[in-house]
Amino acid sequence: MLKIKDLKAGIEDNQILNGINLEVNTGEVHAIMGPNGSGKSTLAAVIAGKDEYEVVGGSIDFEGEDLLELAPEERAHKGVFLSFQYPVEIPGISVSNFIKTSITEQRKAKGMKPMPTKDLLKMMREKMELLNIKNGYLSRNMNEGFSGGEKKRNEIFQMAMLEPRLSILDETDSGLDIDALRIVANGVNKLKCKDNATVVITHYQRLLDYIVPDFVHVLYNGRIIKSGGKELAHELDQKGYDWITKEADNQ
Amino acid sequence: MSLIENLKSYSEGIKISSNKNQLLNSFFEKGFPTIQDEEWKYTSLKKLISEDYSIEKNGSPLSHLDISNHSLGFKNKIVFSDGKLISTPKIEGITFSDFSDFECSTSDPFLQLNSALANNGFTIKVDSNTIVDGVIEILFFTTTENSFNQYRNQIIIKDNAEVKFVEKIQNLGSSTSFVNHFTQIDCGKNTNVEYNKIQNNTEKSKLIDTMNIFQKEDSTCNINTLIFGGSFTRNNLNFEQNGSNCESNMNGVSILDKNQLADNHTFVDHKQPHCTSNEMYKGVYLGNSKGVFNGKIMVRQDAQKIDAFQSNNNLLLSENSTIDSKPQLEIYADDVKCSHGCTIGQLDEDALFYMRSRGIGITEAKAVLTYAFASEAIENISILEVKLLAQKLLAKKLNVDLDFSV
Repeated sequence: MLKIKDLKAGIEDNQILNGINLEVNTGEVHAIMGPNGSGKSTLAAVIAGKDEYEVVGGSIDFEGEDLLELAPEERAHKGVFLSFQYPVEIPGISVSNFIKTSITEQRKAKGMKPMPTKDLLKMMREKMELLNIKNGYLSRNMNEGFSGGEKKRNEIFQMAMLEPRLSILDETDSGLDIDALRIVANGVNKLKCKDNATVVITHYQRLLDYIVPDFVHVLYNGRIIKSGGKELAHELDQKGYDWITKEADNQ
Repeated sequence: MSLIENLKSYSEGIKISSNKNQLLNSFFEKGFPTIQDEEWKYTSLKKLISEDYSIEKNGSPLSHLDISNHSLGFKNKIVFSDGKLISTPKIEGITFSDFSDFECSTSDPFLQLNSALANNGFTIKVDSNTIVDGVIEILFFTTTENSFNQYRNQIIIKDNAEVKFVEKIQNLGSSTSFVNHFTQIDCGKNTNVEYNKIQNNTEKSKLIDTMNIFQKEDSTCNINTLIFGGSFTRNNLNFEQNGSNCESNMNGVSILDKNQLADNHTFVDHKQPHCTSNEMYKGVYLGNSKGVFNGKIMVRQDAQKIDAFQSNNNLLLSENSTIDSKPQLEIYADDVKCSHGCTIGQLDEDALFYMRSRGIGITEAKAVLTYAFASEAIENISILEVKLLAQKLLAKKLNVDLDFSV
């Protein structure tokens, strides 16, 4: 599904990704871990298409297409979804209006008519239930005045509504209390199927108790320096990153 | 010929009272204001007044289609065609009549001109305790080429009455039209009034709109000004609070492109204690458009416990658009709450990326953010039809097929 080859990217003169190789297949859950500043969020932003990052080398292939050639909205139309580390507040647009616009535009791109309002509301209600979201939420302004947990839940709600093929969760767990974390993780797990894939970017092993990855990668200095199964996450939790990063530094 | 020459030759052909003659002479002596005049510092009339106009010329008759095409669909309509009142509704408790002269002392040249030469307009009297169901729509049509028309309207709302209006000035031709419009509203005690101006005229249309509002105690008056069309629009909106516990609310949305200019001048004169004023103007500027905002708030010595709020927020969406914004607060009372804020900015890049990452194309994402920006003012409009029209016109202006009404 996703093939990243020797990806090099940065912002202005500062190169952050120094040759990332990663392959994600349908049905898989990958976790990308790593210390602060290792390039985790940059990788997420480059996959989603944020313009301020410049790709200087390598490629990203998504289902046979060159992702780097596509605008952010076109990537979304192909089924790429980024759950933001810091979701943006948009005063003046309600959650329901935002999601309706988003779904309508995605359908338009596929040559489909807008979803009838009745069906849309029904779908919203189902997904709200899945994520334990209370009534009244839909008419609130997008992320405005939301708590950290509410913002992250709103990201997963959008993911549930948009049904992407590839979801990248950028630090969706940071700042969440254990109850919110469980709800979010439970939502992600329920949305998982054999046709989609999830990349979980996280700092903490804790989330991976709830969203169990098939593969764990350690990102350091813009490179994946170690990959393994879920047990690697436990090892990192116990031993920290130092033992791997030192090894990498020595090389 | 220029407008002033047009007006001179027009006035020679008609008879007016000596009072009016005096006003007219005073106007001719000073002429139209220039950018040397503080009130017109950012808005030049030079080009506007150099054109040749037909003053108060009779036009061709209106068809039903002309009216229905431009109406918001309200049952109760007042319709003018080239100055002539052609239709008034029948509503219990309200008297509608043609132009009747009323005085207002003024040094404003456009009002002097209006006082001296206007002989068209309406008078509406709303009896006390009348609660009007629905909305009264007021349509002013122009059918003549290069026309100059003046209207002078008065609305008298007696105590405890409640009424809502929607006003539209519409040029049916493709040539220029210039309207010098004046409306006075007298709000009785404990009255509630909402007046919506939809300024979406054709590309070459010009408008000077002055509205003077006199409020008695416990009255609430809401004025909403939506500017989408027209090449030149100047609104002078003046409130005078003459009783305690008055509430004056203003909402403005301007969305301009090409070479459009819109200038909103507001003035709230707080003369009595325990009153509020609330002003929210949002401007969006594309192309080579230009916006001007001047918000004056006067709090007189006796006007204690006043709560006055003013905000003017602007989005400049192109390299060549400009906005001049000037808050003007004069406070002579010591126990008051006055705040004002003015912002000028661009669309938030992070929000744009956020929306694009959800599959919303860049043009649509910009439109949604622009709507979000303006929505605070649009949401304050109580009439659903006006709100929907504002959303529709905004989408049209930003060239997107989006429905903001969820």
